Amino acid sequence: MKFCINKTDWEKFLGQISKTYHIYAPQEVYGELAYQLLAPENVSNAIYDTYRAVQPLKTFFSLPQEKVTVVTPQAEKTIVLGVKNCDLKAVSVMDKIFLEGEFVDPFYKQRRETTLIVSSDCYQPKDTCFCTLLDNNPFPEGGFDLNLSPIDNGFLMEVGSSKGESFIAPIREDLKEAAPDLMEKREKKRKTAKQRVIEVNREFRTEKPFPTVVKEEYASSEWEEAAKTCVECGACTNICPSCYCFFLVDTKDEGKFPKVKFWDSCQHTGFARVAAGVNPRAKLYERLRNRYLCKYEYRPENFGIVACTGCGRCVEACQGKIDKREVIKKLEESKVET
Amino acid sequence: MVENPYLPIEAKVEKIIDETPNIKTFVLKPSRKVKFETGQFVQLSIPGIGEAPFTPSSSPYQTEKIEVTIMKAGLLTGKLHEMREGEIVGIRGPYGRGYPFDDFYNKEVLILGGGVGMAPLRSLLLALLENVNRFSRIVLCYGAKSPEDIVYKDAFPEWRKKRKLEILRSVDKAAPGWEETEGLVTVLLDKIEMDLRNSVGIVCGPPIMMKFGTLKLLDLGYKPESIYLSMEKNMSCGLGKCGHCALGKYYVCKDGPVFKYDLIKDIPDIWL
Repeated sequence: MKFCINKTDWEKFLGQISKTYHIYAPQEVYGELAYQLLAPENVSNAIYDTYRAVQPLKTFFSLPQEKVTVVTPQAEKTIVLGVKNCDLKAVSVMDKIFLEGEFVDPFYKQRRETTLIVSSDCYQPKDTCFCTLLDNNPFPEGGFDLNLSPIDNGFLMEVGSSKGESFIAPIREDLKEAAPDLMEKREKKRKTAKQRVIEVNREFRTEKPFPTVVKEEYASSEWEEAAKTCVECGACTNICPSCYCFFLVDTKDEGKFPKVKFWDSCQHTGFARVAAGVNPRAKLYERLRNRYLCKYEYRPENFGIVACTGCGRCVEACQGKIDKREVIKKLEESKVET
Repeated sequence: MVENPYLPIEAKVEKIIDETPNIKTFVLKPSRKVKFETGQFVQLSIPGIGEAPFTPSSSPYQTEKIEVTIMKAGLLTGKLHEMREGEIVGIRGPYGRGYPFDDFYNKEVLILGGGVGMAPLRSLLLALLENVNRFSRIVLCYGAKSPEDIVYKDAFPEWRKKRKLEILRSVDKAAPGWEETEGLVTVLLDKIEMDLRNSVGIVCGPPIMMKFGTLKLLDLGYKPESIYLSMEKNMSCGLGKCGHCALGKYYVCKDGPVFKYDLIKDIPDIWL
């Protein structure tokens, strides 16, 4: 279902529901876009299009640190506005880990269920964005409850789930179906944005897809080269929208078995260490390579999803100026023909 | 109430048995029955200290109590070794995939164990003995550093009386009174003859022994799909989520800890 809604009506609706929901939206903070709580009187501060926020969407579902001793029912409902496609795709990986399999993470599940995702098209991709190199698009194609594509003085609203449908029920009668010309305008804007990502990444294009390069060049000496400036800070994994690894810790807090779960990084020395200090990935380059293998080989084999969506956050966050695109390009170029 | 997979239940330490200078067996009585398949593991914790994975060493048919044999290797195991009977630990699980028992029916089962790696193998052996008529033969090859490092010393005389079970033991360094083999555990494999077309090999021990044990079995003619390994990785959550126990695309906590060798043989550096 696709509708059109003008900005004033949408913002009026947001103002009304801000009493029942915590609304987070990308807002400008020190020249960057960051998800911030949207005050009812400032609903027009939300920035929908442009590019992805600094924080990955996962921060709403898997907290950097949380007590996991008791599952307390969560009454508060959350809306996240302005989510980009790179984050939607990444959360689908998080969902596979935390919601599927024999065990479900009740903490993640609860937050996921009480959060409404309102995505938007990405009209001004950054220089670090590379979704197109991974066959992704800078506009949502699924995984959202609602998608808003800003056009003229309003939005083309696409409903993506029954959750989204019930959410707009109060204003459903006032919504007009989107006219074909609006669809055309959206198509045009999307094409322009996609073209921009392609242009930005022209120099990083590899002959074979990224996942194939990473798999085939396991033994390349480029991994060691790439790891030379890595300082093992873990910024890349923290900022990654699909990195889900965590550490379960027994704390000295009150209670019988007080446990805390916090984000962990496979880049840290002791991540895979076993009893008596044996470490399967003792070298820094082995850990750096592991991150690529996880994203481009292992998770695709598990879930059929490449776990890197090309959001480019790790490129920006890296203290050692390691650009994933460059690393993979070099891996391919350094290939020794056998 | 919502199920919380991160939360352990209490288990009382009923008895502590000294096996070797640095290995003890803990007899635990969980507050609820913990039914496990042989080869699956549990997570034991001490509040405020930590948690670690251990494979029960007792028979899966004994459900009231669980026995866990633990070598002192780090912080948590150090603290466990300081515990006294009557104290409480946390237990979660069981997790993962154990030994695919049915695969072994009507076969010659060769068990190759080293050091404290005998713990999961004792559980397996007890389960095999319980169903001994289903197997054509059971051979246990066990190696330890020295005679005093052998675990379950009292159990061996009993096991030697069992029908269909043969036991060979070796120590890296013999001591006065040792009348069995001296040398690495793999030398025991030269002393036995198995019907290779109808045999499975099961290996559990320290990483280096796992490697050379497996290579030796391959050398003898075992096929990769007839070798079962109990892999040791850093299983932390036990639920297939936290990422610590990755082995290539697998998570040892949910896809293992028992793997058929052919499933993992192409993963680089599996022995580390």
